[in-house]
Amino acid sequence: MLVGTGRPGRSALEEEVTAFYDAFRGPLLRYLASMRIAPADGEEIVQEVFLALFRHLRDGKSRANLRGWLFRVAHNLALKNRMAKVRHAVVEASGESVDPGMNPEQLAVGNQRQARLLAVLRALPEQDQYCLSLRAEGFRYREIAEILGISLGSVANALERSLSRLSRAGGEA
Amino acid sequence: MRTRLSGADSHLSDADLIRLADGELGSGSARSVLGHLEACWQCRARLRELEGAISEFVRLREEAFAPAIPAAGARAMLRARLSEEARTTTPGRFHISIPALATGLLVLVAMLVTFGGTVNADGPKPRLSITPGETRPVSLAEVCASSADSAADPIPESVRLQVFAAYGMDPAQADAYEVDYLITPELGGAYTVRNLWPQPYSARWNARVKDRLEHRLHQLVCSGQLDLHAAQRDISTDWIGAYRKYVGPGI
Repeated sequence: MLVGTGRPGRSALEEEVTAFYDAFRGPLLRYLASMRIAPADGEEIVQEVFLALFRHLRDGKSRANLRGWLFRVAHNLALKNRMAKVRHAVVEASGESVDPGMNPEQLAVGNQRQARLLAVLRALPEQDQYCLSLRAEGFRYREIAEILGISLGSVANALERSLSRLSRAGGEA
Repeated sequence: MRTRLSGADSHLSDADLIRLADGELGSGSARSVLGHLEACWQCRARLRELEGAISEFVRLREEAFAPAIPAAGARAMLRARLSEEARTTTPGRFHISIPALATGLLVLVAMLVTFGGTVNADGPKPRLSITPGETRPVSLAEVCASSADSAADPIPESVRLQVFAAYGMDPAQADAYEVDYLITPELGGAYTVRNLWPQPYSARWNARVKDRLEHRLHQLVCSGQLDLHAAQRDISTDWIGAYRKYVGPGI
């Protein structure tokens, strides 16, 4: 028969990574959707994130703040994915503006007020949108700064700018 | 840190209010901001507005960005990829001993000779070199905590195609086959390509017959009459033989 089936060292890691997947697939997909990644691409990116986690842990690298690590990897893969999409779009169509994330969102939000809020959100600088989404995932400013590779002050400024604008949009209702 | 309260008319900035609400102010600053808030209705109203924007954003996010796709298929795919990753990047861990390989080839040749023309109708037998039947480390208690026929996650299309490719089969035939676990996960079988093989629906010894064997083995293992490893070994080396041994001589 087979030599070496079910070695605990190998499978325990697979089980651990699967457990992380079960816990963080939803939040990561939500974050990727907020970055305007199409659902199918999001699912693929999440798979890559957990394969990367597997390699990361197998190579004995740091286990500090793995949740932040997962979001950082997902964020960077998403940026790569969008860059590839943009290049593709430039080759495919000329002059047509490509905004793949918008329509499903607009379908998803029920009322006008939310649609307007979404428009305000989308008009914010992207960095501000990332900060908001990560803060909503429960990350502290320090962690957000690490995920996005920006300074602590930039995180605070981004949150101030975006919440001020969102609150004004809400007030106009 | 800059001075916030230069005079009675000055108010807190949005930045200070947000950082206070987020618990991101140092204790000294937090004290002075809180002191101002107690005294100033305007700043308290502004804080309330900002909190309102936060709750609206949270609600919007839940509706607009909720993941809609069911997780089962993606999860199975990840597990298959993880096993693939573990296997391909650590060569030598899953080598098959030469005698076992030789036995496998002999069995294959013997089957070809025995069944001759019927081998096609029955489809490929699980091949030891492709489907040795991997297990995952489970305790007896875990095996017996799940029922014998609890449904496993569906096997994703990409994994099915890998199995067909490994068996050198045309994916166009895929509809006629069930890609089945050799060692059922309920008996500790792994969710990996090396525990999967294409089983034709039309065969006499088909997946439903094998289900009966799996059910029987689960019973025997969980009532203490059969060792879990013996059950895994018997179902992975020759499941039809195992059926005759544990269930009965005929279907």
